[in-house]
Amino acid sequence: MTGFILRRLASITVTFFIVSVIIFVMMHSIEGGPFDAGDMPMPPAVRDRIMAQYGLDQPMYVQYFKYMWGVLQLDFGVPFQSPGETVLELIGRAWVPSLVLGGLGVLIGTPLGILLGMAAALRRNTWVDYLASAVATLGLTIPVFVTSMILILVFAVWLDWSYASGWSEPQKWVLPIVAYATIPMATYARYTRSAMLDTLNKPFVTVLRAKGLSERKIIFQHVLRNSAIPMVTVFLPMFIGTATGSIFVEAMFRVPGLGAYFVSSIRTRDYPLEMALMLMLTVMFCLAYLISDILYAWLNPRIRFGGRRK
Amino acid sequence: MTAAPALELRSLNKSFMLRSGTGWRARHVAHPAVRNVNLILPRNQILGLVGESGSGKTTTGMLALRLTEPDSGQVIVDGTDITRLDHAALKPFRRKMQVVFQDSYSALDPMFTLAQIVAEPLHIHQIGTAREQTEQALHWLGRVGLHRSYGGRYPHELSGGQRQRVAIARALILRPDVLVADEPTSALDVSVKAQIINLLQDLQAEMGLSILFISHDLSVVRSLTDTVAVMFNGRIVEQAPTEAIFTDPRHPYTRSLLDAIPVLNPRDRRLRQFASREELEAATPRLRHADLHVPVTPSAMAQLVTVAPDHLVEALVA
Amino acid sequence: MTTAPVYRQRSPLWFAWRRFTANKAAVVAGAVLAIIMIMAIIAPLITKAPPNAQTFLADNLAPPSATYWFGVDDLGRDFFTRIVYGARVSLTIGFAAAIFSVLIGLPLGALAGYYEGRTDWMIMRVIEIFSVVPPLLAAMLLGALTQGGFLTIVLIAALFGWVQVCLLVRAQVKAFKEKEFVRAAQALGASPGYVIRRHLIPNSISPIIVGFVLAIPLAMMLEASLSFLGIGVPPPTPSWGQMINTGMSFMYFYWHMAVFPTAALAITVLATTLFGDGLRDALDPTLKGR
Repeated sequence: MTGFILRRLASITVTFFIVSVIIFVMMHSIEGGPFDAGDMPMPPAVRDRIMAQYGLDQPMYVQYFKYMWGVLQLDFGVPFQSPGETVLELIGRAWVPSLVLGGLGVLIGTPLGILLGMAAALRRNTWVDYLASAVATLGLTIPVFVTSMILILVFAVWLDWSYASGWSEPQKWVLPIVAYATIPMATYARYTRSAMLDTLNKPFVTVLRAKGLSERKIIFQHVLRNSAIPMVTVFLPMFIGTATGSIFVEAMFRVPGLGAYFVSSIRTRDYPLEMALMLMLTVMFCLAYLISDILYAWLNPRIRFGGRRK
Repeated sequence: MTAAPALELRSLNKSFMLRSGTGWRARHVAHPAVRNVNLILPRNQILGLVGESGSGKTTTGMLALRLTEPDSGQVIVDGTDITRLDHAALKPFRRKMQVVFQDSYSALDPMFTLAQIVAEPLHIHQIGTAREQTEQALHWLGRVGLHRSYGGRYPHELSGGQRQRVAIARALILRPDVLVADEPTSALDVSVKAQIINLLQDLQAEMGLSILFISHDLSVVRSLTDTVAVMFNGRIVEQAPTEAIFTDPRHPYTRSLLDAIPVLNPRDRRLRQFASREELEAATPRLRHADLHVPVTPSAMAQLVTVAPDHLVEALVA
Repeated sequence: MTTAPVYRQRSPLWFAWRRFTANKAAVVAGAVLAIIMIMAIIAPLITKAPPNAQTFLADNLAPPSATYWFGVDDLGRDFFTRIVYGARVSLTIGFAAAIFSVLIGLPLGALAGYYEGRTDWMIMRVIEIFSVVPPLLAAMLLGALTQGGFLTIVLIAALFGWVQVCLLVRAQVKAFKEKEFVRAAQALGASPGYVIRRHLIPNSISPIIVGFVLAIPLAMMLEASLSFLGIGVPPPTPSWGQMINTGMSFMYFYWHMAVFPTAALAITVLATTLFGDGLRDALDPTLKGR
């Protein structure tokens, strides 16, 4: 087990560095520097001085090493668009809305999805099942910005029940949270349904019934535990993906979260911010997958305790 | 002066690395599948290689065909050592040795028609034009007992016995000297078994083939082969002409194999004895020098010794 | 000689067809997809004017009516025309990207599956690199780098779709590599290239088809997302993502600007995905859950 973890860690670290190089090069290859566009073109001398101040006039590999050195010390530099704070501070500030909305979305969507999946599995092939499956499929296949659009149109524009933008008060949070919740809900509904159906069909359940165990006990004590493993392992990557804010949801609901800053950082060529965001997300996903892999190997009794050969 | 044997295996060894346990506690254990195997397959003869599952007989067959690489030892085909030849040099020798497998379903590519399957060897060795290849393929389908019109069909449309016929046609279309048949009848019904065995016998006689017939089914082996070699735990423990093996088995393992054949007469059953694997390992016969037909140097390790003309047994010589 | 056979058995394809038609959602999805495709192809025949022509300025922003089925947009263009031509863009990009995904993923998957060992390890590392970066963000970077444009979007979408095709093919090749007909070909002296080309890849047709069909909605969504953010298909070429973005500004008073592109995108993606799922279940029920 330890060997496995160490190997995965090593491979993830290598991947991380490769990705960082690629992103760095890509970013710096985009036409136009951070101070070229805009309404007030600066005189070249001024521009050169600012570039030098930020170290942007040096060759790329020098910039890269300087940057990565800083990263290892958790110094991500200063964003061009708001020099008053460090990148780290900005991210910390911007993450709050994403985390709140996305996190709540996942936390609400997951149990709803599980319940939906359970209902579908237990009432198989009835209207409950069909409805739940349809909702799950829709949630997964319709892109999230389309869902957001539909939510806005139906609830904000036509029914006027809620707000279409901003996130200053909790009432405004409802629609974005619903939008965020669709993906975990749909994913878990599907997983739970198929995992439960698989388990319910296994011979050991028939034995339990023959023993006289009540249906409820069977479900909660046996079936759910068997189905739990893949569901647990998929949770972490999904949480990370949602809690870091969807670009679309934030764009549509005008929420100043990570997603929104990401878009603006690309537009304004704000290298430090862009780089930091990409790296941060990559690292988080790497770790999420690593932890999920380990969790899965650990939870699965077949892997943990070893099987018999042949 | 006898001609060089069709196939000769000398001191073949092959081990597989197996992993036991998980994670950091895993140990890699070398499992010796084939240990110091010596076999001679003379021309125009059928040699049966028998043993239980895991005895190494299939691996031996794969080694002979160089579908697996031996750790040490030599594979000699028609007098030439082919053990170390590279892909290009090996190709002409591939024409001389062919194989028929046990699982006839996965032995035929489900996407190929029967004609394409049988013609494939010609295609790979670039013999003849496409039309000639197809014609040859259809001719061979006929020789194995399937009507020519089957050429356009697919494997899934056939029964197990018919697929095995196709596999045999494919193996023989290049007129090889050696055919390795790895349990070709094990997956077939009893009546079909007999048909395939007859087919093999007829073809062998017609073509002067040498066949290495691997099987665990002793009754089939008895009716088909000229010589039998018995494998146990990766080694050959006895080798003799077929009738000698069945009437005069010298090694305890051979005896227990024969005892395992179901008998009809209840009275005969009481004579059977079954020993465990450990008992068999320990029961290597001990022979004195005088019992041997051909003298050998005494050694602390068991070795194959000749106890009668053409009859070899693994024993400890005092 | 045995006598000529009398009957022919049913092929696996026949069974696959039966499984597919039993899946009503997939059949309906397939029909819807076909309709959309046909409409996209015969677009000039069913629309009044070219999609970029601002011919109806007088009726700017008119709501749907008998004359303008989907209304008129903010620049005086017939909205129905725009939507239908938008289908052309989405479908073309979707199919093209899927083809490229297969072109990249198939050889890599076959090589990884056949040779295993180091080749496999390297290809899996590459796949890992592509998996940890959120595809949308990377696509945005790439889009900004290359200034958008049709071909670049197709290639970007292909860059994120090939992984699935590769994994499917790799699994299939690994499974079939141990089959005896491969051993038999090797016993005949066939080279690895021959074995891969003539035996392994033809037997991987079903995962290839499934990977192809499932890559299409991914590509369409990626294109719509990029266009929504303004770095995808450049105006005036109609793209549903773009239209949704515009529609957002007008949606309070001119609902048709937002509803129709949203519905079009949702329906198309849904239809393609359901059809793809149905195809996958029909061709190889064991692939479910991947």
